[in-house]
Amino acid sequence: METSKVIYNDEPVKWLLYPALCFLIFGMLVGLFISINGFLMPDYFSGEYIHFGRVRPVHVGSVLLLWLLSADVGLLFYLVPRLCGRSLWNPTLAKIGISIWWFSLIFGNLSYPFGTNWGWEYAELPMFVAFVPVKVIFLVGWLMMAATMLVTIAGRVYEKMYVSLWYSLGAIIWTTITVYIGWFYIYQIEGGISRVNASFFYVHNLVGLIFTPMGLAIAYYFLPKFANTPIYSHRLSMVGFWSIAFTYAWIGAHHIIHGPVSQWLQTTAIVFSLWLFIPVWSVVTNLFGTLRGNWKKYLESPGIRFIMMGNVFYLLTCVQGPLMALRNINEITSKTDWVIGHSHISLFGTFTFFAIAGVYYVIPRIVKKPLWSPELADWHFTLNLFGSLFFILPLWIGGFLQGLEWANWANGKTYAEYLQNISVVPFIETVAHMQPWWLLRTLGGAIVVFANFIFVFNMFNTIILPPREETAALKESA
Amino acid sequence: MKQFRQDLGHKVEHSFWGTFIGIFLFFCCAIAITLVVPPLVDPTWSENTSHYQKQLYELGDPRVFISNSVTGNYDLQFVAYMEAGKTLSAFIEGEHSRIVAPEPLKKYISKENGPIHLTNKILFLRQPSSSFKDEVERLQGELKKAFTEEKPNWKEKGMTLPIFQVMELYDSGLKEGFSTSATEGALEDFAESDFVLVDMESKDKGHLFIKNPVEYRVREIEVPTGKGYLYSQKGKPIASLDELKKMGFWSRQELIEKGERIYAIEGCWYCHTDQTRTLVQDVVLNGSDAYPAPPSTASEYIYQDVTFPGTRRIGPDLSRTGVKRPSRDWHKAHFWAPKTASPGSIMPSFQHFFDDDPRGTPGAKVGVPNLQFEAIYQYMMTKGTRLTSPSKAWWLGQDPVNTKEIIDGHAK
Repeated sequence: METSKVIYNDEPVKWLLYPALCFLIFGMLVGLFISINGFLMPDYFSGEYIHFGRVRPVHVGSVLLLWLLSADVGLLFYLVPRLCGRSLWNPTLAKIGISIWWFSLIFGNLSYPFGTNWGWEYAELPMFVAFVPVKVIFLVGWLMMAATMLVTIAGRVYEKMYVSLWYSLGAIIWTTITVYIGWFYIYQIEGGISRVNASFFYVHNLVGLIFTPMGLAIAYYFLPKFANTPIYSHRLSMVGFWSIAFTYAWIGAHHIIHGPVSQWLQTTAIVFSLWLFIPVWSVVTNLFGTLRGNWKKYLESPGIRFIMMGNVFYLLTCVQGPLMALRNINEITSKTDWVIGHSHISLFGTFTFFAIAGVYYVIPRIVKKPLWSPELADWHFTLNLFGSLFFILPLWIGGFLQGLEWANWANGKTYAEYLQNISVVPFIETVAHMQPWWLLRTLGGAIVVFANFIFVFNMFNTIILPPREETAALKESA
Repeated sequence: MKQFRQDLGHKVEHSFWGTFIGIFLFFCCAIAITLVVPPLVDPTWSENTSHYQKQLYELGDPRVFISNSVTGNYDLQFVAYMEAGKTLSAFIEGEHSRIVAPEPLKKYISKENGPIHLTNKILFLRQPSSSFKDEVERLQGELKKAFTEEKPNWKEKGMTLPIFQVMELYDSGLKEGFSTSATEGALEDFAESDFVLVDMESKDKGHLFIKNPVEYRVREIEVPTGKGYLYSQKGKPIASLDELKKMGFWSRQELIEKGERIYAIEGCWYCHTDQTRTLVQDVVLNGSDAYPAPPSTASEYIYQDVTFPGTRRIGPDLSRTGVKRPSRDWHKAHFWAPKTASPGSIMPSFQHFFDDDPRGTPGAKVGVPNLQFEAIYQYMMTKGTRLTSPSKAWWLGQDPVNTKEIIDGHAK
């Protein structure tokens, strides 16, 4: 599909990927810290600037925006020009955009402990941090970057758009509108539940219409590249794309089922949540199908392993998601650690795995050196996989059990019976029952942090050090 | 047919604009129906839960002012800001108290068991002046006689004679004034059905009012940090709202807004939900010893800038805290050391809510003591207490939102 005659400018890719790798470690370390200081030894380090509530948004903001979103956009800057067959339009504009993107995100994210949290989930950024309008700066930076990609796609050399380009195009539009709604529009409407509804619209679409299309663009591009085979079915990928475009934006209200929003809105969200099975099955089938008959490649390349395991996690998370939206299952899982497990399997298990695979492909090629140590990459995958299972499974199991304990209060027919139930197992006791699961979560998390430390170490060695002699020379596949 | 499909596929894939517009249209359709339409078709997203809620937020909160206002006296002072024509007051005689007034003002006095007479004039109570001396003595005598007739053997029972208080009602003639406020906490005096509007008209079905206002006057005193103020009937009246604010008073509205901000900043909402869901486990978790808590409705949240329904319950739900935990002292102890106050809790301590004294009492400052604590406390006291007027409260067994029907899935 590509010609090697075009010279691609990979500066924007580097500007996004290198810092993002550092923030991967930073964000995960903060997560590990709060899993200990918030749960295992609650409030051991106590005080205004370090307690759980002030530090948690730093973890979420770092892994979500500083690592995952930045890495995803960096990978888009790599694959979009190559799929269009032309160099990126106006890389200077992109680099200016990236600079102010980093400035606003870093400045905003690190300010939370000092009391700038704005109170909306995933949209904790305030309008101003010490007179710096971080939200506006971020949006301007993003629009600059988006413009360079849009013009590149519009003026592409290859007429046909590969599915990754569709997803990229979708991601650009959806990101812009979703961010606008979650960060700005929310203040233009009435206070109360209208804003809550807009907030959950944003929360869900951040995952569904930003990370999903970006992650799938990456998976659809790098899996065939790694395996050197074409994608299983273009038509199936189109089904997946358009069903995502149609269903995802409707389901924000499934975050507040049984809550104070209109029943018809909850039902709408539940129905559309169930339709998500269509894009999910098409994506999963397509990615597995691509490797059909070629499974030995799974053993050979950590990149393929990351994409395929990400795919398995994608299946899991997307089976969970619609089921969790059903009223009876939601009654048990909602507001428990199951939800935390669910958000980690989608954002970490799926989309971080995809992004890591992309980084494994891209960095050796943009620095034109082989991967510093393939063995470390193998270790990275294995530790990351087992660490993530250790860390996510306890959250599911523990959360589900806690949800059952709460549901047990409702056994009986009269209010007196309910009161009797809750006096036998009061709320505080159901919290105490989570302790062993939280311990396992921290252990798994520690393994994950260690694994990704190896990853980042390997990557920066690839970038900085001369190639090791024993590593076979890796050529950029044309 | 095959040729047709290939052509179509090519044309669709070919079209950058087709993709662009397709994505955009799908998205706009979803936005229109899930974001724009719901507030338009569901009135509860913008309607009040009750007259009481509306008046408390719009009329009560901006006019109740809180401060310690003086060093060395840690008790909070509650001052009501009265505006002629806007705020209502009532002068109600009790079992052992009577009110005397010149003839033209007598219509503003409410009898003990009669309807409440409400007025929007600024009238105050004070110790009776000498011109009422005879009447005061007569009334006290009557009260004493009634008491001894009702309980002839009160001495044998070891009872003491109550203080028979008589106050004088007078017209201040002011356009705006300040009174000591009888109520301090989450609940306010509200005339629901049995009331009379004196010399005024209103279509509202209920009215917030100030009960038996006495003018708030202060005496200036010297304190190490500057000027302090001590409540004194012989002091000078407050001239204006600005003057009151300069004395360090914050309105309850300002405190609630600050409390909401603190709730966001400290990340309370990561571990606490603020919604009683339509589930039995939620109505029992938040319910009182006798009655289930009503599930949250959209109307409860309409006065909030940021609403925190929450996604995780590491700590209990807070949507009915004002009823379940009304005590300021309990919250003080709990914020200072949650793990001690509530064994098994993993909540961090919030000692920075308090001024510098280790037991959470204020340092030598004029103004609201423990400002951050007071703000978050006032914010939490709005939770669950404002759905209906106190006489129709859910904790008295009234059911404002058809709890049972919602639970059973019968309600809309």
